[in-house]
Amino acid sequence: MEPTTDFYQLIDALKADSANSLGLFMPEVTLCVFIALFLAVRLITTKLDLFWVALAGAVVGLISSNPLQLCSGAVESEEMFTGLLVHDGLTVAVRSILMLFLVLFLIFTKISGVPDKEDGADVYSLIFGSTLGMCLMTSANHLLIVFLAIEMAGVPSYVLAGLIKGRKRGSEAALKYAIYGAGAAGVMLYGISLLVGLAGTAHLPTMALQLAEIIPAAGLGEQAVLCLAAVMIAVGIAFKLSAVPFHFWAPDVFHGACAEVNAFLSVASKAAALALLLRLAVGLGSVPLNEVEIPQILEVQHESIMSEAAPTQLVSLEDQVADDKSAEPAVVEETADAPANDTEAEPAADDSDEEPVAEGAAEETIDDEAQAAALATRLAIKQAHDEALSPVRNFIGLLIAFFAVVTATFGNLAAYGQTNIKRLLAYSTIAHAGYMMMSIAPLMMTLGTDHAGAEQAASALIQYIVVYVFLNLGAFSIIAFLRNYVGSEEIEDYSGMVKSRPSLVICLALIFFSLVGLPPLSGFLGKFAIFASLADGYSDTGSMALLILLLAGGINTAISLFYYLGVIKTMIMGEPNEEHHLGDRPVGDMEMTYVILITIPTVFLIVCWQWVAGFADEAVKNFIS
Amino acid sequence: MDLIAVAWPYWHQFFFVLFAATAIGFGFGVLLSKNVVRMAFYLVLSLGSTAGLFFLAGAEFVGAMQLMIYVGGTMVLLIFGVMLTAQKDFINMDTHTQDWILATIVGGSLLMVLLFGAFGSEDWKTPQDITDAEVQATKEATPLGLALTGIRVDTLGESTDAVAEGKSGYLMPFIIVSIHLLVVLIGAAYMARTKKLSHATDDKSSRAKLMLFKMEHEEEQLEEEQYVVTHRAKSALNPLDSENED
Amino acid sequence: MLLIGTVSVSWYLAVGAVLFVLGAVCMATKRNLLGVLMGVELVLNGANMNFIAFGSKVLRPEGSLGLDGQLIALFVIVLAAAEAAVALAIALNFYNNHNTVDVDRANELNG
Repeated sequence: MEPTTDFYQLIDALKADSANSLGLFMPEVTLCVFIALFLAVRLITTKLDLFWVALAGAVVGLISSNPLQLCSGAVESEEMFTGLLVHDGLTVAVRSILMLFLVLFLIFTKISGVPDKEDGADVYSLIFGSTLGMCLMTSANHLLIVFLAIEMAGVPSYVLAGLIKGRKRGSEAALKYAIYGAGAAGVMLYGISLLVGLAGTAHLPTMALQLAEIIPAAGLGEQAVLCLAAVMIAVGIAFKLSAVPFHFWAPDVFHGACAEVNAFLSVASKAAALALLLRLAVGLGSVPLNEVEIPQILEVQHESIMSEAAPTQLVSLEDQVADDKSAEPAVVEETADAPANDTEAEPAADDSDEEPVAEGAAEETIDDEAQAAALATRLAIKQAHDEALSPVRNFIGLLIAFFAVVTATFGNLAAYGQTNIKRLLAYSTIAHAGYMMMSIAPLMMTLGTDHAGAEQAASALIQYIVVYVFLNLGAFSIIAFLRNYVGSEEIEDYSGMVKSRPSLVICLALIFFSLVGLPPLSGFLGKFAIFASLADGYSDTGSMALLILLLAGGINTAISLFYYLGVIKTMIMGEPNEEHHLGDRPVGDMEMTYVILITIPTVFLIVCWQWVAGFADEAVKNFIS
Repeated sequence: MDLIAVAWPYWHQFFFVLFAATAIGFGFGVLLSKNVVRMAFYLVLSLGSTAGLFFLAGAEFVGAMQLMIYVGGTMVLLIFGVMLTAQKDFINMDTHTQDWILATIVGGSLLMVLLFGAFGSEDWKTPQDITDAEVQATKEATPLGLALTGIRVDTLGESTDAVAEGKSGYLMPFIIVSIHLLVVLIGAAYMARTKKLSHATDDKSSRAKLMLFKMEHEEEQLEEEQYVVTHRAKSALNPLDSENED
Repeated sequence: MLLIGTVSVSWYLAVGAVLFVLGAVCMATKRNLLGVLMGVELVLNGANMNFIAFGSKVLRPEGSLGLDGQLIALFVIVLAAAEAAVALAIALNFYNNHNTVDVDRANELNG
């Protein structure tokens, strides 16, 4: 067969693709520009407080990530940069959440006073660099990008953990984070290498296609390699999520780093890691519809049918497809001969429009029917692929379910007996990572069979992330402000705090109750969404694992109630500790305003919950095809 | 290599065994040596031998980069680190015996699993005969460079292959990695730079430093300077370093 | 068997696996911080060996990974260098504060 592309075609395709991709890549470009700007501004003047530049950058990033486009309908899924990234509702949603968090977080650091003016340029560059990595994590469509993004998000945060220099604990936290992080990244890279080697590609959708071909015929060795690769990749992501048993860094790093950095690590890093987990799980567990191409054999008949313009014969075409389904690997081999002209740079989403054109013979009058038939064919092929991938989905689902149960339970149990509020919140963060991972299990169980169920599970996760952003940012900001007043992060020193600083204590109590999941606070809504998806998944599939998850979730919620209550009880019922209340200063206006603003969503999100749920539903609409 | 290949059909095997043995041997050297300077030296040799294996597998460009960046750059960095921290006590450090035992057991079983995986797939296990023409055809520096600008010329002839679908140009990561390197540079400089009082390990001066941090940003809340000096000092440090004092 | 047959991809993978395990054990057992960082380099190198082996047209003319393997390996080398730079800076910072490079002394935060 003649080569179908030449060099100049490749260049033209690259130009078109890059121009298109850059338009969708604006938030990341904004971050890059502002990283450079931080350095440039400091060259010109040292007087300007870089906080304002950073805030401007975050706001521009938020605007350019354009979360409102989700309100006006679902975002089409399309690949960027020759298939390295993918832009869909999930990308838009999580990127917007990250940017919103960045704005709130920057204001918080300004109010709490860490970093100082002198360190500002460096620290804001690190924060932006890390956020850039997280944005890539949410849109990764290629295993190289997965690794690159994890490194980009991780390496600057190692430095952030040691933000305040000259402190022994800070440097120890940074060191532990860096060493464990490097180890986890190394293990993950090895897993990626095995997976890439087996599938022969690093591009996720193509990899899913290849796996669908390999798995039915896989021997013991290949299965072992696949499991090994999945477990090793899971280690890397579990580290990012601080899932048990790879959580050991979290309490130490949270204890050693300052509360500002903790807020960043516990919210942004978790949200991005969850989005990445979602992408990998769904990407490996199903073949996206627009990756499926019609095998040539079918296409010939397709053409002939079309030229006769006999819609009734479409039925026979579908029969043909059904026949081929049984001989599934054969179909995939035929795919090799399909006229894949723009394999290089054209976004695959265009395939559906181009196929009739590529065939050349399809009459315009029956264009619609041709497209409908092509769609039906591709759906059937996709189903066959997805069937072949069901062991992958089960394995990933059970692996994540296991991690989720262990993580939530361990996190909640270990939170008892913590005397330091930051350590307590570290374990609480671990437990919440467990809850959030729970939603991916029903997603994997229903993916490919029950479209609505899968979407519901993914949407529940997004809803939980939205809630969680405000909760943990609020909790850590109050801790940072209290540190500035009281000079302690030990829970016993918070004793009787309600008398001197009632507003902060009430807000913290609300946030803690919300973290437990008491109605009508926002935490309840998030938890309810996840448990509902678990229950629906169980009633659909009858999978025992989902029932266990549901029970574990319920029990954990009950367990977690008591340690949060313990802190609140100490603050409200305890005897005031005179030493720390010497010359009580009133809470500053800025602090007060910030804390109240950040607590408002916790209390009132229920009023506009429809909006959040709608946002999450739109976000996942084109993500699962 | 062609000349050798003509003269001696087993050249690939010979060099493979040579490089593999040195890479693994010096890898063990890194693991078993107590002396950190020797460890660094063994690591250089191990990484260099790995570069040899890269050449042998037909990845000349990556092999060259391995030599230049790893052996020439990263290793120099590590050796700087060794020199900066080279005090008598830290040159030789014994690993605890119980660590050795545990590590041997865990590492051994991990190695078994990985080796089983390495020989797991028939496709990987079966050697494939290569003709000289094919060896000739694998000069890949130009396609590699073009792929970094986003153009996959290696897909030109085989664009009908289903797998070509997954062959992406790497322009975006190539650019984004430069941003990453910039951020990392800033981070490393931030960490390594001696700021005022950053050498301080005693509590007094680090207290003062933290006070500076706080005072600058909360001037509006200052009631009286003396108050803040004492209060901040306590507030900033008590929770974190109180245990250090004993 | 190796010397009379042609070297297959698996043998390269075996070398990669050994390097990976050596690096992992190195990270786990070394008490000197710099030793731990050297372990990280070995681990990444082991993974890189896999990418090169899978992408090699010399070892496996029909292999489908092709150039991607080498490209990923290149990026890994760059990322490893970046990570090493930051880790070293953090290690020096630790040394400045604690006057030691013994990781066993990093025990003030007990998790």
